[in-house]
Amino acid sequence: MVGQFGVGKTSLIRRFVDSIFDERYLTTVGVKIDRKDVTVGSESVTLMLWDLAGEDDLAQLNASHLRGASGYILVVDGCRAASLAKAVELQQRIARQLGPLPFVLVLNKADLRDRWEVQVAAVSERGWPTFETSAKAGSGVEEMFLALAGKLLQ
Amino acid sequence: MNLLTALGFAVFERSGESSFRLVGQAPYWLPAGGVTEAFPFLEVFLPDAEEFWASPGDRTALYSDLWTQDDLHFCAIAVAGEQKFLLIECAERRFQQAQSFVQYAHETSLARDQIAKLTQAKTEFLARMSHEIRTPMNALLGMAELLAETPLNDEQREYVRRFRRAGNNLLNIINDILDFSKVEAGQIELEKIEFDPRKVVEEAIEIAGVGARAKGLEVSCRIQPQVPSRLLGDPGRLRQILLNLLGNAAKFTERGELTVLVKMDLDPDVLQFSVSDTGIGIPADRLSTIFDSFSQADASTTRKYGGTGLGLAISKRFVELMGGRIWAESTLGVGSTIHFTARFSVPQGPAQRPIENAQVALPARALRILLADDSEENRFLIRGYLKDSGCIIDEVENGAQAVEQFKHHAYDVVLMDAEMPVLDGYSATREIRALGATPIFLLTAHALAEARARSFEAGCTDHLTKPIKKATLVRAINDAINKFVPQNDRIHVSDRIHVCVESWLKPVVGGYLEKRRGDVGKLRAALDRGDYDTIRSLGHQMSGTGGGYGFDPITEIGSALEESALASDTARIRTSIEDLDRYLSAVRIE
Repeated sequence: MVGQFGVGKTSLIRRFVDSIFDERYLTTVGVKIDRKDVTVGSESVTLMLWDLAGEDDLAQLNASHLRGASGYILVVDGCRAASLAKAVELQQRIARQLGPLPFVLVLNKADLRDRWEVQVAAVSERGWPTFETSAKAGSGVEEMFLALAGKLLQ
Repeated sequence: MNLLTALGFAVFERSGESSFRLVGQAPYWLPAGGVTEAFPFLEVFLPDAEEFWASPGDRTALYSDLWTQDDLHFCAIAVAGEQKFLLIECAERRFQQAQSFVQYAHETSLARDQIAKLTQAKTEFLARMSHEIRTPMNALLGMAELLAETPLNDEQREYVRRFRRAGNNLLNIINDILDFSKVEAGQIELEKIEFDPRKVVEEAIEIAGVGARAKGLEVSCRIQPQVPSRLLGDPGRLRQILLNLLGNAAKFTERGELTVLVKMDLDPDVLQFSVSDTGIGIPADRLSTIFDSFSQADASTTRKYGGTGLGLAISKRFVELMGGRIWAESTLGVGSTIHFTARFSVPQGPAQRPIENAQVALPARALRILLADDSEENRFLIRGYLKDSGCIIDEVENGAQAVEQFKHHAYDVVLMDAEMPVLDGYSATREIRALGATPIFLLTAHALAEARARSFEAGCTDHLTKPIKKATLVRAINDAINKFVPQNDRIHVSDRIHVCVESWLKPVVGGYLEKRRGDVGKLRAALDRGDYDTIRSLGHQMSGTGGGYGFDPITEIGSALEESALASDTARIRTSIEDLDRYLSAVRIE
């Protein structure tokens, strides 16, 4: 799970794993690791979810944390256009390091859609599998994780 | 090892690659099973640790990043030496410290972004509001200006004078708000041009002195002889600061005098200006806050003396942009002095020839002007400004009509409103610019830097901000025609062609000329489709008839058209059509 700081990576995982949303913003330091067993079709899959601290002006993603990843989720805060640019940059960096792994792009904070700066059309142009989610309302979260799990099984 | 366990470490000895043996007691937080299975994070750390154990160099330990697992926070440490150890630290305290530091940075960054967005929104709002206010103000002030030029009795003249003064005051307030928002948005860039500081001070005193003297106040200035007569800087903004300070001084002074003092600072590149009054004074506890936005010394001040409280805040920002500072001294009931310093450089080389004030006279030539504005009031105003100039003004109501009109007539100047229905002024300018280099003036109530940039990006010659004064418009047109319109390509007023027609022909020449004017459109259309036969035929008709009616040039142009149509010479045909169009615009029957 990668993206700019404050886009909601940790909240998406909490919503998915524990069905909880907390309004308080707590910065992730380093890596937060969770696991979740899901069923995709007839197959049971254990997802090890690595929530990597968001990039900011001071710290870049630690490339060694990407070792062994089977796929990744690029998280964007729909309310911050800069977070999309960051996601695009991360995708290029990860693709260079890990090659063509399955990934999805998440436009989070769908509950604040009327304040979005990100143009969905501009995202669609890239042809990336994209999901609109709200960690707060829970919408789209499970679908997004299951879709990625499905891609991993392909 | 029990000590390390007590301090929150689990200690493992490396017994082979990815093989570890717990040393000492297992802390309560250590999951059962092997360490690599218990802590998935080690999957990314151990490759680095193995590399480190193989060649530690000068280092004795390699620390991993922090990680969180089951609500606990950990760090791994590879320790080098004869024996190789892997320590897992339950790093709660370190995590809390790191998190509070990073969280502060993130929250500050998010808040900064939020403030930037709000400031941007405010700037846009102010720009929009100023546009909405400036558009009707343009019509109001302009018509008042025109009204003042008409015959009026004394009572009417006084009404108009008050009307214009109130309008100008309102415009000053709008300009203050705009300036302030521009400064806040970092959109003010100071000019660096040569100027004489004495002249700037004198002009400011001349302007502000009118109101002050009307109140019975004395106004004087003292400029130290050492103050250079040539400086490089922004005289406009300097004048604005002085006007703000003098305006305030006059406002808060009922009797006595206003004085401006200019002297050299200890730093030779810095001048100090001091504006003193003998007014009501400022309480000591408010001296430091009067330069804050929307602040006056007393809330009741606004009610009694008016004003937005922005003048000093804007002055302070300008002074800071000029590398100076501003401060106040005051004694209640005795008076106040506002001092400010500003940094200038002294120009090298010979003095530039001062730019002569462009004569605020109407263009001395009968220019053909295309005016595109959807507001009837604004068109009326421009027409009024240019009514005695002899200019021919073709009016259209939107950008699409302007482009169409431009294709069919030769214009010396285009005046284009920015916001119009169907096709806005920017798009129309782009289309017209693709057709020729005619000077195009964007007329807009948008005064912010972006609006200017947008105008120039579209290809405009200049950007005139409404409300446009007659002098500004005339000066801009004069400048443009001097720069852009070739001398021999212009119809001069003196060139306006007066043709004496024999009396028996008079009833028919109007129709004849009208028909020729219709031919201009037909010729252009024929040229567009490459129909040289039609051009030749029309040229032939003209060459055979023009002289007979007394219009020899029509005969000449007709012959040229006929010849160039036979030669398929499109450039010459185009020139002849424009000659005909211009001649028909200039010709007058006597």
